[in-house]
Amino acid sequence: MARYLITRLGQALVIVVLVTMITFVILHLLPGGVARATLGKEATLEQLAAFNRDMGYDRPWAQQYVMYVERLLRGDLGYSFQLNQSVTEAIGQRLPKTMVLSLLSTLLAVVVAIPLGVVQAVRRNRWPDYAITALSLLAYATPIFFMGLMMIILFSQVWPVLPPEAPQGFTLGEVLADPAGLVLPTVTLAIVTIAVYSRYVRSSMVDNLNENYVRTARSKGLSEGRVVGLHTLRNGLFPVITLLGMYLPALFSGALVVESLFNFPGMGQLFWQAALKRDFPILFGVTLIVAVATVLGALLADLLYAAVDPRVRLRAGRA
Amino acid sequence: MTTSTQTTGAQGAPLDDEAPVRGLWRQGVEVFGENRLALVGLALFVLLGAVCFLGPLFYHTDQVHTDLAAVHLPPGTAGHPLGTDGVGYDQLGRLMLGGQTSIVVGLAAGILATFMGTVWGAIAGFAGGWVDAAMMRVVDAMMSIPSLFLFMLMATIVTPSVPMLILIIGAFAWLGPARLVRGEALSLRSREYVQAMRSMGGTGGRAVRRHIIPNAIGTVIVNATFQVADAILYVAYLSFLGLGVPPPAANWGGMLSDGLADTYSGHWWLLYPPGFAIILIVLAFNFMGDGLRDVFEVRLRRR
Amino acid sequence: MSAPIDPTEPLLRLRHVSTDIALRRGVVHALDDVNLEVRQGETLGIVGESGSGKTMTALSVMGLLPPGGDVVGGEILFEGRDLRSLPPAEVRRIRGVRMGMVFQDPLTSLNPTMRIGAQVAEPLRVHEGVGKAEARERAVEILRRVGMPRPDKIVDAYPHQLSGGMRQRVVIAMALVCSPRLLIADEPTTALDVTTQRQILELIDDLREEFKMAVVLVTHDLGVIASRADRVAVMYAGRVVESATTAELFRSPRHRYTEALMEALPGSASRENDSRGRLYSIPGLPPDLSRPMTGCRFAPRCRFASEACRTTDVTLSVGEHQHACLHPVERTLAPAPRPALAAPAAEPSEPAAEAILSIRGLVKDYEATGGGLRRASGRVSAVAGVSFDVRPGETFGLVGESGCGKSTVGRLVVGLEEPTGGQIVVDGADIATLDRRARRRMHRQVQLMFQDSYAAMNPRMRIDAILAEPLEIQRVDDPAARRSRIATLLDQVGLSRRVLERYPHEFSGGQLQRIGLARSLALRPRLIVGDEPVSALDVSIQAQVLNLMRDLQRELGLAYVFISHDLSVVDYMSDRIGVMYLGKLVEVGPAHDVVRAARHPYTQALIDAVPSADPGVRPRESIAIRGELPSAVNPPTGCRFRTRCPLAEEICESEPPLVGGAHQVACHFPLRG
Repeated sequence: MARYLITRLGQALVIVVLVTMITFVILHLLPGGVARATLGKEATLEQLAAFNRDMGYDRPWAQQYVMYVERLLRGDLGYSFQLNQSVTEAIGQRLPKTMVLSLLSTLLAVVVAIPLGVVQAVRRNRWPDYAITALSLLAYATPIFFMGLMMIILFSQVWPVLPPEAPQGFTLGEVLADPAGLVLPTVTLAIVTIAVYSRYVRSSMVDNLNENYVRTARSKGLSEGRVVGLHTLRNGLFPVITLLGMYLPALFSGALVVESLFNFPGMGQLFWQAALKRDFPILFGVTLIVAVATVLGALLADLLYAAVDPRVRLRAGRA
Repeated sequence: MTTSTQTTGAQGAPLDDEAPVRGLWRQGVEVFGENRLALVGLALFVLLGAVCFLGPLFYHTDQVHTDLAAVHLPPGTAGHPLGTDGVGYDQLGRLMLGGQTSIVVGLAAGILATFMGTVWGAIAGFAGGWVDAAMMRVVDAMMSIPSLFLFMLMATIVTPSVPMLILIIGAFAWLGPARLVRGEALSLRSREYVQAMRSMGGTGGRAVRRHIIPNAIGTVIVNATFQVADAILYVAYLSFLGLGVPPPAANWGGMLSDGLADTYSGHWWLLYPPGFAIILIVLAFNFMGDGLRDVFEVRLRRR
Repeated sequence: MSAPIDPTEPLLRLRHVSTDIALRRGVVHALDDVNLEVRQGETLGIVGESGSGKTMTALSVMGLLPPGGDVVGGEILFEGRDLRSLPPAEVRRIRGVRMGMVFQDPLTSLNPTMRIGAQVAEPLRVHEGVGKAEARERAVEILRRVGMPRPDKIVDAYPHQLSGGMRQRVVIAMALVCSPRLLIADEPTTALDVTTQRQILELIDDLREEFKMAVVLVTHDLGVIASRADRVAVMYAGRVVESATTAELFRSPRHRYTEALMEALPGSASRENDSRGRLYSIPGLPPDLSRPMTGCRFAPRCRFASEACRTTDVTLSVGEHQHACLHPVERTLAPAPRPALAAPAAEPSEPAAEAILSIRGLVKDYEATGGGLRRASGRVSAVAGVSFDVRPGETFGLVGESGCGKSTVGRLVVGLEEPTGGQIVVDGADIATLDRRARRRMHRQVQLMFQDSYAAMNPRMRIDAILAEPLEIQRVDDPAARRSRIATLLDQVGLSRRVLERYPHEFSGGQLQRIGLARSLALRPRLIVGDEPVSALDVSIQAQVLNLMRDLQRELGLAYVFISHDLSVVDYMSDRIGVMYLGKLVEVGPAHDVVRAARHPYTQALIDAVPSADPGVRPRESIAIRGELPSAVNPPTGCRFRTRCPLAEEICESEPPLVGGAHQVACHFPLRG
């Protein structure tokens, strides 16, 4: 187990380093270089040259990369002249809110998708399976913002029970103080996630129900409920843990759209607005932080999986 | 009962000679045909494609010049069966035009991504060792940056046009196919029929040409259809986020996001037609992908 | 635990049971009018080939039919009550408490994420409401009873921490924990090595007496039936065709199918007259059970079938020895009418012929990787210094249990792997010294035949392309000449030209094995390495392939390296046999001598463990191997068998050399001479 832990941590570290390299490369694809992108169109040539000298952008690439990483390690993601705020500070304000949105919708998705997937697997190739599959495919094929808009029309206009806009509070506490406003963004983000998770749970459960150990369990004269609920469910759900990690990038992409649609003051919205204004320090900062969050999330999911599944836990321990 | 004695060869070669000899191609078509959803998907795709690409030949509209005298006309207005939008473009004609972009970008980006991913994954899978490890870590790293963030970032750096959109989406959507193909290559490489060929003195090149590519191609094609569906959605997201192709060019995603603004003013015909068009085309590709998966699996199925 | 109602009443009785399996394409009538009875305390053996319905019978009784499966007619009477008419909860209880089942594949039969103890005790907790602590205690107790070492530790372990044999003991413990009246064992030892098989079969025998229960032993292996069952039911195509006491059935089978099956068995043919007579091979394939049938189902493949056989529905006769045959065998089976006894395979002309294959000190180590890390955590010693020769036209049999390295030797010989050390000399040339071109040409001399020909053929290539591939690779002939050579090959293996346009998935196992053999022959090699070439086939099909291999050997002067775990098949096929244990050749000699006068204790144990298809031969109490196969990572020093050998002494820690004349042995205490 210890060995597995170290290996997996090492892998995550390598990936994070590679991510910084990728953002570094894209940064240098910017027309007019970083200086123009940071200072804007109005900056004079002298200002650009001074900026480049100060930031070391006139030095060789390798040296620049080292400086880039050094700044990152100090927590310095740059400065947004448009927001008049350091990038770290801007992200610090928004990150917790995005986390809340992502966690809530993941939680909702898991709670809904597991029973759906299990019902599909147990009743496979019968109408409940077909119905849920059809709905999943439909949810998957619908652009999230269109889905969100339908929710708004349904629950704010046709049957006005929920606000069409997300809570606008500055702090996390203010956002949480308005739970009604969180409902539509959370549900919208969760719907596609449910579609993906339930299909996964279904196939994992179907695989497990076809395993020989299920037949052994039945030969003990166990009720179908015990066979499915006790023997199959646990084995079928273990892989779902890793899916939680693998799905993070898609979840964050979805959050970007949902936050923009519902005007939810999180990282996605910050990123979106920065994109419209070409505020590159923010764009790169957010991209980096989201990537690191993805890597950490996937790492967490893998470690959790290794901890709960005895096959991984004990195999890794013995080697 | 039959009076003719059933003679089976003494050596026993009881191949059922009455069974018709059918090529894999025909068997595949039959299996695809048995999957009703796949047929629905194919029909949808053909229908939408025909409307978008052939429709303008019969239904002429001006999609270049705005007509501010005829904005927000409701459906059913003479000459505008689906009404007009906020600058006076005919909505039906615009749907056809937008569909062209969506389908072309989706297809091209999906195919580009599949192609790049296949090449990358195949090289990693065949090379193995540290080359494989290095190449796949790069994929891991790029995959940990959510794709929409990458697309947006690129779209802010270069000005989006149709070819640019294709390049941007293609340049980052190949990661999934790369992983898939690499796994497939690794597993095919160790198949017994590849070993059998090697035990006859066959070379690695022959293994790739005659055995690995023909068997991996199914996975790749199936994946490509899903890539196309995803690419169409990505185009829609980029348009919604204000980084799509600028007007007068149109695509369904862009039309849908423009329609969002009209939700509260009751111009429903600007919202639902492009929305459902996207859903239908994405469903079509997903259905076809499922059907194709059956097709490629059946060739491996034993009686 | 209620006492049985009437001791004379059979414990389990199947009357006119029919089972259907609904598949996507039509309904398979897996069982059709099956009649059986199992008496108190007896072992009933159900024997048949794949598709005969033997497993479906067991699953029908246990209510464990696969999706789409349903018992559609008849009665399943257990202790006098029809399981089909009882309420489901009651039936579940009966199945959980009064019956137990043991399955074929112990590796997948246990829940991988549940502790052993919890799985074993589950029936107690569910059906008898036993408390947690007591359930655990009883789990430990039953695990001890099935011979599990350190059962108090094992209860807390997970299945993947145990070997296959140990897992099968767990499954047995689980089946027995409620002290059932009936134990159904479905191919309980098929996935296990012979020495482990013997341990498990003996355990089931012992437990039957101790628990005073009845056992239904379902198997394809006539040897297992002969040595363990009191009565036997023979099944064919969804029906019971014959049923009698074991002694009676093996002495005088009545049904023509039973007779044919016994004649197709290599073990019986070679033992009886000791000549290498041709096996009787049942022509054709079993019928397709989704089509309607009239008459005797074996008639299309039967030598003695008459018009009446094809039109009359034959039912089981009454009495103690029941059969469903219009032309039953009328005499006891001694010298069966075996068509055309072939001359024994040419004895190798020893001094004259130069070896086609000569192996000297062959070594193969693998890096062992573990824990997801690429770093090696040890070396697996798969082959450790193996030497032998194969002469033209001879068959060299290589036998041993799984993990002994026999397949690795085969792969090294055909050049699929590079040896770590030692020499492989093919036709006088050391293949390590050959350049690329010469190495490619070397493959013309040596070809490989696989266990699973389906896996060894590209599913997207037609048979003509598959057969042409070796010729293309070696650039032999022009396309027209290739076509005619392929036609000749098909004639040689007895297949029609029509197969050329088809794909591998359209063929049965036996046909694929023929095609595989044809492909191996395409380059006119002088040596074919067969890696378990018939192990996946049913007895009747196996006989077809073995006969074919021997015919071709005689016609073409081929040499074979015949690798198998099945001693009787190796004995039947080989001129000389090498026995491998954990990477080492422990004994080499003429087939007859090795099998009938083994010198190495391991060889003897292996021979003793093979159940004989002759009820007169009960398992001997001679050499029984203890314990489990040691890991090939850091194998025992000296004689690798010493950790399990009853004769081992201190000197065995030094490695014994392979010595002797024609019959060599590597043992400090050889059994003979």
